[in-house]
Amino acid sequence: MKQRAWTLLVIVLLPLLALTGCGLPGLAGTGGGSIRIAAQSSTESSIMANMVAALIEHELGIKTELVANLGSTTVVHQALLRGDADIAATRYTGTDLTGTLGLPVEKDPTKAGRIVKQAFKQRYQQTWFPTYGFADTYAFMVTKPFAKAHNVTTISDLKQVAATMNAGVDSSWMSRKGDGYADFVAAYGFDFKRVYPMQIGLVYDAVEAGKMQTVLGYSTDGRIRSYDLTVLKDDQQFFPPYDASMVVNDSLLAKYPKLAAVLHRLDGQIDLATMQQLNYRVDDRLLEPAVVARQFLQDHNYFKGGTDNG
Amino acid sequence: MADLNTWQQFWYYLSHNGAYVLSQFSRHFLISVYGVLLAAVIGIPIGLLIARRRKLSGAVIGVANVIQTIPSLAMLSIIMLGLGLGVNTVIVTVFLYSLLPIVKNTYTGMINVDTTLVDAARGMGMTSWQRLTMVELPLALAVIMAGIRNALVVAIGITAIGAFVGAGGLGDIIVRGTNATNGGAIILAGALPTALMAIVADLVLGAVQRRLEPRGKKR
Repeated sequence: MKQRAWTLLVIVLLPLLALTGCGLPGLAGTGGGSIRIAAQSSTESSIMANMVAALIEHELGIKTELVANLGSTTVVHQALLRGDADIAATRYTGTDLTGTLGLPVEKDPTKAGRIVKQAFKQRYQQTWFPTYGFADTYAFMVTKPFAKAHNVTTISDLKQVAATMNAGVDSSWMSRKGDGYADFVAAYGFDFKRVYPMQIGLVYDAVEAGKMQTVLGYSTDGRIRSYDLTVLKDDQQFFPPYDASMVVNDSLLAKYPKLAAVLHRLDGQIDLATMQQLNYRVDDRLLEPAVVARQFLQDHNYFKGGTDNG
Repeated sequence: MADLNTWQQFWYYLSHNGAYVLSQFSRHFLISVYGVLLAAVIGIPIGLLIARRRKLSGAVIGVANVIQTIPSLAMLSIIMLGLGLGVNTVIVTVFLYSLLPIVKNTYTGMINVDTTLVDAARGMGMTSWQRLTMVELPLALAVIMAGIRNALVVAIGITAIGAFVGAGGLGDIIVRGTNATNGGAIILAGALPTALMAIVADLVLGAVQRRLEPRGKKR
């Protein structure tokens, strides 16, 4: 009977030991030793987080865990500061400049990038990586036939036809300070016939269906590609730059000396068209961000190790 | 995609993301199981203790009852304040919700053991430990198992909410589906496996429970 008592004791204590020791078997992120990557709930953020995760796991053999579905930049920022995560998959210069850092708007992308990089280093001991190569900014878009018929390629080109156009815009943009509707009218010097505030997810369908002649949407959305929309160039640099980068805690880079080199392989590798296509495959083709991210890395030879031809 | 109906999209989704769904499925299952296991490790001894010292039972079960009444999203958020984002928060939440069914069932199982049997065992000269492991626990095991079964089914549901604190699991797929424009198929791809897991877990543990039913007591 002694033996039975011992077995019972072992059965009771084993899970406890596992828990207090090195995390739960089969479940990443319960103990130390894995790199945690924070992602916002947007498709784009999910894809990039999965890409970073796959790259780290494959090239360095370190386990990763996604802290996904976070609601806003603020939550992601807090997660990094608290150590709930070590890498933020997507941070945007425009958002962090005014939101997180509380600094004035800077419309030159290079300058904005330099400011956030310095400020994050000093204030938070975090490294702001060079941009992935795409910016997720507000952009005016029209259908391709419309662009051809009226010969428009820039926002300024809309001036002569704007008086006849209905525009659908993100409802939060209407009252934004600095880069909102009122400032837009002042900067470009023209107004539309009528402006319809709507939910951002609906604008792409609205312009495709011809309900609106132009809409204001996000430049990386996959539907730009599936509906074959033309994005108009912001020739007056009215919208602040929202260049996307990853942000990494310096403590993590110090802990894994080889990490920085691996992460830098994504610098400038994903341009706007590529990001649109990746988003399109998730939003329209029902593929998981994890699947799309892995495929991208495979297709671009990221998994050969060492070579920098990605 | 627009030309496919929701079910066709659902099969298309599964055929292209099967490995991903499977990995989230196992993650979801492990989170639930670890939470319940932890609750069993701590809850069963508590149940045994309050069955011996009945004066404590009111207070202990009262506390477990109060924990149970807290809405799961609120509980998750409160624990997140302390433990931060990630999977540990969800495991602790599952643990707390599993305590009540496990403690209560252990207690009920133990006090319902026929006292004449325990007296007989004492008369045979069994020590207190022997009475516990050879008479009381075997007789109460089926009831305790019913508690664990109950806890696991609830845990699978709670783990789905864990997606909100970034823990992953099938809830992640559901949340993504709600964010997508035409996410009906994605929501199904997350929700159906969750439901399936709960049903299968219930059936399997039910079978285990029936096997543990003491022979003399079988109906």
